[in-house]
Amino acid sequence: MITAALAAPAAIWLFLFLILPFCAMLVFAFGKRAPEGGYQAAFTLEQFANLPSRAAAFWNTLVLAPIGALLCLLVAYPVAYYLAVKAPPQRRMILVALIVVPFWTSLLVRTYAWMYILGSRGLPNLLDLVGIADVRMLNTPGAVLLGIVYGYLPLMIMPIYVSLEKLDLRLLDASADLGARPASTFFGVTVPLSMPGVITGVALVTILLLGEYLIPQLLGGGKVFFIGNALVDLFLQSRNWPFGSAIAVTMVAVVVIVLAVSMRIAWRFAGARRVDLV
Amino acid sequence: MRAFVVAAYLFLYAPIALVVLFSFNAGRNASEFTGFSVEWYGKAFSNTFLVQALQNSLIIAFVSAVLAAIFGTMAAIAIERMSERARLVFDGLFAAAIVVPGVVIGIATLVALVTMLGLINPLIAGVWPGENPPRIGLGYFSVIAAHGLFTMAVVTMIVRARIAGLGRDMVEASGDLYATPFGTFRQIVLPQILPSIVAGFLLAFTFSFDDFIVAFFVSGSKTTLPMYVFASIRRGVTPEINAVATTVLVASLFLILGAHFLMRPRSNKPVEG
Amino acid sequence: MTKHRTTPITAAELTAEFMRLKRGSVTRRHFLGVTGLGLAAAVAGGRTGSFVREAHAEDLGSQMSLATWPNYHDPASFEAFTAKTGVAIEVNVFGSNEEMLAKLQAGGTGWDLFVPTNYTISTYAKLGLIDPLDLAKLPNYSAASESVRFSNEGTVDGTTYAVPKNWGTTGMAANTSKLKTPITSWKDFFEVAQTEADGRAMVHDYQLTTIGNALVSLGHSFNSIDPAELSKAEELLIKVKPHLFAINSDYQPGMRAGDAWLTMCWTNDGAQLNRDIPEIAYTLGTDGGEIWSDFYAIPKSAANKPAGYALLDFLKTPENAVKEHVANGTPTTDSRVLALLPAELTSNKIVYPDEAALTVLEFGAAVTLTDPGRAEVMARFKSA
Repeated sequence: MITAALAAPAAIWLFLFLILPFCAMLVFAFGKRAPEGGYQAAFTLEQFANLPSRAAAFWNTLVLAPIGALLCLLVAYPVAYYLAVKAPPQRRMILVALIVVPFWTSLLVRTYAWMYILGSRGLPNLLDLVGIADVRMLNTPGAVLLGIVYGYLPLMIMPIYVSLEKLDLRLLDASADLGARPASTFFGVTVPLSMPGVITGVALVTILLLGEYLIPQLLGGGKVFFIGNALVDLFLQSRNWPFGSAIAVTMVAVVVIVLAVSMRIAWRFAGARRVDLV
Repeated sequence: MRAFVVAAYLFLYAPIALVVLFSFNAGRNASEFTGFSVEWYGKAFSNTFLVQALQNSLIIAFVSAVLAAIFGTMAAIAIERMSERARLVFDGLFAAAIVVPGVVIGIATLVALVTMLGLINPLIAGVWPGENPPRIGLGYFSVIAAHGLFTMAVVTMIVRARIAGLGRDMVEASGDLYATPFGTFRQIVLPQILPSIVAGFLLAFTFSFDDFIVAFFVSGSKTTLPMYVFASIRRGVTPEINAVATTVLVASLFLILGAHFLMRPRSNKPVEG
Repeated sequence: MTKHRTTPITAAELTAEFMRLKRGSVTRRHFLGVTGLGLAAAVAGGRTGSFVREAHAEDLGSQMSLATWPNYHDPASFEAFTAKTGVAIEVNVFGSNEEMLAKLQAGGTGWDLFVPTNYTISTYAKLGLIDPLDLAKLPNYSAASESVRFSNEGTVDGTTYAVPKNWGTTGMAANTSKLKTPITSWKDFFEVAQTEADGRAMVHDYQLTTIGNALVSLGHSFNSIDPAELSKAEELLIKVKPHLFAINSDYQPGMRAGDAWLTMCWTNDGAQLNRDIPEIAYTLGTDGGEIWSDFYAIPKSAANKPAGYALLDFLKTPENAVKEHVANGTPTTDSRVLALLPAELTSNKIVYPDEAALTVLEFGAAVTLTDPGRAEVMARFKSA
C-alpha cells in the first residue's frame, strides 16, 4: 500500500511522458505525411521503407560517435590517471572540481566560442601569421569531432577517475617490486583494473552521442549530419512527422542495441576477471 | 604527462576564457575585441527577453529538479520494497528514460502533447460555461514534464545506490523500538540518503538549466536561456550572451562553494573545549 | 475584442457586469475594459504603457514577438517603436519559409507578426494559420500605392491576408578578391563552388532557392516539381556538397569573416555586404533564379495581435519604411516610399537591377512549399 503510494507519482509520470509519447510516435511512424505536412492517419510501412534514404546520416552517427568516444578516451585517460595516481593529494579535490566546472557554463555558449576559435579569425588567422594560409577548420568533420571531445571530456574523465581512485596503489608498488617495468605495470595492472570505468565512460559517451544534435549543427555548418540532425530537419523543415517518427523509433532501437552490446562486453570482461582472480 | 594534463585543462578552459573575455568587450560584435567595458552586463540585465529567458530557465530547472528529487526519492524507496517483477519494470522504464536521446524525448513529447491537447481542448471548450474557455498549450508544464522524466530517473538511480549501501539493522532497531515507519524514515533513513538526494537535485537542476533540444520542441511560446542563446547565434551574437553566461558561471561557482562549506561534515570542524 | 468605453457606467450595469464576471461568463479583461476599471487601474498604477503615450484603442501590452529573416531590419526601427509604444520586440530569425510553417503547424510560436514570402500566403490562408488583416487597423498602409506585381499574392480570394514588406531577388555574392573566374549564371555558381571556391561556397538551408537554383543551372524551371528534374538537381547538389563551406541561410557572418567566398544571396544581404566590403559583388543569374516579395502577416495564434498590428502599421509608415530600406538595402513595393528613397539606393544596381535582368527570374510557386518531393530532396541533400 505504502509502496504503491510512493511509486505512484513516478509511475504516472513515466506513463504520461514516456510510454504514451513513445506509443504516439509508434502510431505516427505507420502514418502518412499530410499534403501540407504533418501527420495523416494511415497504416503503411512506407516510412520504414524510406529509412535507407538516411543511411548516410545513420552511418555518420554510427562511425563518428564511437570515434568521438575513443578520442575522448585518449584525452581523458591520462588526465584521469594523473588525477587519481600522480596528483598531489592536497590539490586533488580542486583539480577534480575544475573538471566539472565547465558544465556550469552553457554548452551552447562554449560551443559558440569554438565557432569563433575555428573560424577564419581564430586559429586559421594565427596559422596565416606563421605562413600557413587558407586553412579551413570550421564546418568539417574534424571540427565536429573536436567539439564532441570538448563537450564530453568531463563525462569520460569522471568514471575513469573513480575506478582508478579505488585502485590500490600498493598493487602498483608490488608490481614494481616484483621487477615489472613501468610500462608492463601500467598495461598489466592499471589498465585492466580501470576497465570498468573505461567501459562505463565509452558506453555513456557513445550512447549520448548517438542522439547528438547541437555540436554537428553548430560546428558542422549543416553539412556534417548526425541522425539527430536528420530527425530535427524532418520536423522543422520537411514537416514529415511520420517519417520523423519512424527515424526516432529506429534511433531508439539503435541505442538499445548499442547499450546491449556494451553491457555484454562489460559482463564478459567482469566474468573474465573473476576467472583470472580464481 | 604533466604537460599533457596542463594542455587538457587549457583545452577545457580556453573557450570559457574567451566567453568571459568577450563579455567585457566594448565593441558590439562578439568577433573582435575592441576594448574593456562592463556595459554589456547592464544591457543584458535590462534586456526584457534575455532576463525573461533566464527567469524561465530558473523556474523550469528549479521546479523540475524539486519534483524529480521528491518523486525520484519516493520511487527509489518504493522500488526497494517491490516484488522482483515490478522492480524489473521500473528499472527498465527508468533506464529507458535515461538512454533515450533528448531529441527523441522532445519530439515524442511534442507529438503526443499536440495530439492529446488537440483532443482535450475541444472537450473543455464543449463543457465550458463561459465565452472564453481556457486552452491548455505547451509551456512550463510540458518542459517540466519532459525534463522531469530524465532527471527523476537520475535521482532514483543515485538514491537507490545509496539505499543499497545502507544497513538494514538501524531500520530494524528503530522498528523494534516502536518507532512509526514514518518516524524511522525521518530520523534514520532520510539523514543518511540526504546527500544523495541533494546530489541528484543538483544534477537535475544542471541538466534542466542547460538543456536546449527538449525545450526547443516542447516549450511552446516560452523561451528558455539556451533557446535564447541558440536564437541569438542565428541573429548574430552580442556580448550580452557572454555577460549572462559569465554571470551564471560565477553564480554557480558561488553556489558550489557555498554548498561545499555548508555540507562539510561537522566532525571536520575543530572542537573547541 | 474588448473596447474601452468612454461613457461612465451606471451602478446597475456595474453590478450586472460584476455578477457576469463572478459567474465566469466574461473574462476579467472584458470586465475591466467595460467598466473602465482597467483604465483607472492602469493610470493609478502609474503605467507608462500605451494609454499614456498613445491614444490607442487597445492595450498593446508590454512586449511582442516578431519572426523574420536574417539581417532584415534596422535595429533602430525597433528601438523607435519601443520608445513610442512601450512595447519591447523579441526578434526571431529564420532561414526558410518551411521552417516558419513547421513552427506554426506545431503550434505555440508566440509570434505576433511574421514575414512570409509571396508563394506561401495562399497555403497559410488555406490552413487557417493566419488572420485576414483588418486594414482599418493599418491607417498608414496604402493599398493604392503598392505595386500590384509585388502585392497581389497577399490577397487570397479577395481577402487581404498579408501586406508587402519589400521585394528582392535571389542572386549570388562572390568575393572578387579571392575568386577570379567570372560568375554570371547558376551554372557558373555550381562549377566554381566545386573548383576555385572549393570549401568556400555556401547554399541556403532553404529548399526553394537551393533546389530552385540547382534546377535553373540544369536548364529547368526554378519551380519544377517534376520528379525526374528534381532527381537531377539532387544529384548535382549531392555532388557539390563535399565542396561546400556550409548550408546556411545566414551567410553574412561567413562572408564577412572570410570563411566563405561565394554564396547564394538575397538582395538585402548583397547590398549590405557590398556596402561594407566592396570586393563582394552581387550578381543575378543570366540563366534564371528567383524574384520575390516578402509580406507581413499576423498568425491566428498570436497572443498580442494589437501589438502585431501596431508594429506592422509602424513599419509601413513611409518615414519609417524609408529608414528600413536604407538600412537593409531592399527595393520597396510602395510608390510613396520610393519617392522618399535617397538616390544612392534607387540607383544601386544591386537593389534596383535593370528590368532586363529580371525577365529571366521567376516568382516562387505555392506548390513548392508543400510538395513532398522537394522537401525530401532537400532533406536527403542535407543528410547525405
